[in-house]
Amino acid sequence: MSELVIGTYAEAKAQVGRLRHVLVSAGPVNEAMIKYFASASEDANPSFWDDAFAVEQWGGTTSPPAMLVHWVLPPPWSPGEPSGGPLAPPVLLTKVPLPGDTVINISVDYTYHRPVLVHERLHAVEELVDVSEEKTTRLGVGHFVTTTATFFTTGDEVVATQTNVALRYRAGGNHA
Amino acid sequence: MLDVIHPQLSWRDVAEGDAIPTVTLDVTLRRLIVNAAGSWDIFPGHFDRDYARVHGHRDAFANTSLLLAFSDRVITDWAGPRSRIVRRKLTMARPVYPGDQLRGAGTVTSRRRVDDTYLVDVDVELLVDGSRCAEVLATIELPADPSA
Repeated sequence: MSELVIGTYAEAKAQVGRLRHVLVSAGPVNEAMIKYFASASEDANPSFWDDAFAVEQWGGTTSPPAMLVHWVLPPPWSPGEPSGGPLAPPVLLTKVPLPGDTVINISVDYTYHRPVLVHERLHAVEELVDVSEEKTTRLGVGHFVTTTATFFTTGDEVVATQTNVALRYRAGGNHA
Repeated sequence: MLDVIHPQLSWRDVAEGDAIPTVTLDVTLRRLIVNAAGSWDIFPGHFDRDYARVHGHRDAFANTSLLLAFSDRVITDWAGPRSRIVRRKLTMARPVYPGDQLRGAGTVTSRRRVDDTYLVDVDVELLVDGSRCAEVLATIELPADPSA
């Protein structure tokens, strides 16, 4: 299992405003993945389940807004990659050189410009915008990492933007 | 299935201070695994209890998108499926583990019109055992008027 990119706070700071990462969907937004995802929260919203309703209301079955980032993640393994796959989906957060060998998300702020419909293909551009000084938390010692993501559909139309704050940390000290 | 009636609030139906009723969801390891698989999020903290415990947790923990999806459900179960999430900020207060029951409820904090867009701001709290696990500030777009 390959790990996160490990480095120093100084190395991470040097990447602020420079580190970018592009995520491209493995396939189009589709009803099967939408229904599976909506089942986890038992969300009966007919925008996800009832094609006739969704077509009349939105022009087609819509992606749950919470699912946007997931459309641009790669499969857990692809041909040519080492067996086992990475520790975490290869979002920018995992590529920031920091001492923290694990991660937990802290906050996420999305603005959605319009619904994303089935058959659309998405890609996203992530950028590193901030890395905090070392902080001690209930989970361990680490750094808060702020990234942004801009989500595009075919034709480079921006459909959503996101700002995410996550903690890259090493476990230790008082447990939660 | 257009003959199915989906109750829907319009912008004119909503007022500042309106309550968003409670929705609950029992969190199980099965649900965490379904959500992790459904979101292609293979990070082991979301399904591998041993990995989670070594990294400071008491058990595997819910991924962010389960909380986002649940808070969206709290909003659209109340407002109806013709509502659109325009903006949503979720801030975690503590992880959510198997055995927890998520409770989501909220309040309308304002109602405003921007050109021809009818917006409602809401504050949704996600609770476990009476204490906050996440706070959600969201803006939704509603139909202007009740449908004829």
